[in-house]
Amino acid sequence: MSHPTAIELLQAVQLFLKEAEGALSGRLAFHARVAANSLAIVQRELAQDPDAAEAQALAPFGGVSALCTALRDGGIDPQDPALLKAIRQAALARLATDNPRYATFARLQERDIA
Amino acid sequence: MRDPATDGRSALQALIERTLGKPVGITAVQQLSGGASSATYLVEADAGRFIFQRDAAAAEGDRGISRATQARVQTRAAALGVPVARVLATTEASDDLGDGVLTAFVAGEALAPRWLKLPDYAAARAKLTAQCAEALARLHAAPASHWADLPLKGGSGADLLDDMFRWYRRIGVDVPAFDLAFAWLKPRMPTERPTCLSHGDFRAGNLLVDTNGLAAAIDWELTHLSVPAEDLGWLCVQAWRFGQWQLPVGGFGTREALLAAYRAAGGTVQPQELHIWEVYGNLKWGMSCLQLADDHVSGRVPSVERAAIGRRVSEVAADLTYLLAFGDL
Repeated sequence: MSHPTAIELLQAVQLFLKEAEGALSGRLAFHARVAANSLAIVQRELAQDPDAAEAQALAPFGGVSALCTALRDGGIDPQDPALLKAIRQAALARLATDNPRYATFARLQERDIA
Repeated sequence: MRDPATDGRSALQALIERTLGKPVGITAVQQLSGGASSATYLVEADAGRFIFQRDAAAAEGDRGISRATQARVQTRAAALGVPVARVLATTEASDDLGDGVLTAFVAGEALAPRWLKLPDYAAARAKLTAQCAEALARLHAAPASHWADLPLKGGSGADLLDDMFRWYRRIGVDVPAFDLAFAWLKPRMPTERPTCLSHGDFRAGNLLVDTNGLAAAIDWELTHLSVPAEDLGWLCVQAWRFGQWQLPVGGFGTREALLAAYRAAGGTVQPQELHIWEVYGNLKWGMSCLQLADDHVSGRVPSVERAAIGRRVSEVAADLTYLLAFGDL
């Protein structure tokens, strides 16, 4: 194992960006914050593997690419509850990495699809 | 192209003098915002305050209409009773200031997160849903023929969706919730020809608000011919609620109040129509996120901001899934 780990390096750069943000102003300060947020996404992505979670959720429909093609060709009903449940699971997996604090994340998890 | 705040200040002064027909002294030019596509300046002069808006120095891709067309649309919208900033002049090539428009200054708060949250604007927020409905009803009351002499884009809802789907496939990524929304929308989009002018970007971030409510609708660059429900649906898109998700109309109102006020002002949009265009609007915002990310990934506009916006696609995917699974959001 490398020392520090990739996660620890990311955390170090996040700390630096927070420090830099305080010393910057305007557009550069904003970009420092965006950069720090991006590294938080990378950290979560390393821990969660959303690509695999999405593929697993959509496996009953042949996976991401096959499902998208079927929807484009009209080969699948967009109101099928099983489809909506699978797409919800896939969307939640991605959002858990990209922005778990987004209000729709909790709301989408909590409500049952009939 | 000169910068109105620095080497283009004398050209800006000449433009104002030409407009007012008298000598003018400029005391300050302050850049208020510099988006990806346009830049806005506050001009302080002895003759008063003005707003100058022009394309950004490095504007990318397919922009909206020309400033000259935008000026004519805004002037006509004002005549219909829509609150807009009064257009004073547009630039000429010899000004070397880019494609720009000079308008009167309208006092008000442009930062939606401020007027959506500050207690000072509570009374304004209470009036805003009805005021937006009235402004849109007045704009939409004019038939498409009212704008026929202007070079405006537009098409049926089905045409707009086709265009957006081609845009999606040009970018070439697979987002299952986007394909779900395209498939759901396809048999539902109206095929009728456009009946009116759509503002095209009527959302909380483009409303100038004072303590009495709506002071002006700004940013008419994306205006096009469509049907009334498009503007109403766009106003309900989750991304423009700035966290006030319980109030679907821009973070300040309910759909029921919007439709009722729109009806009271002489327009008609059915709840199901609004739902369809709200799905369309969320998908369109999602496409903008994909596009901004693609600007970075393709190398056209390297930018940490654009790269990060690409991950907001996941927010839109969740919003679309919620809207389609439950019928509201």
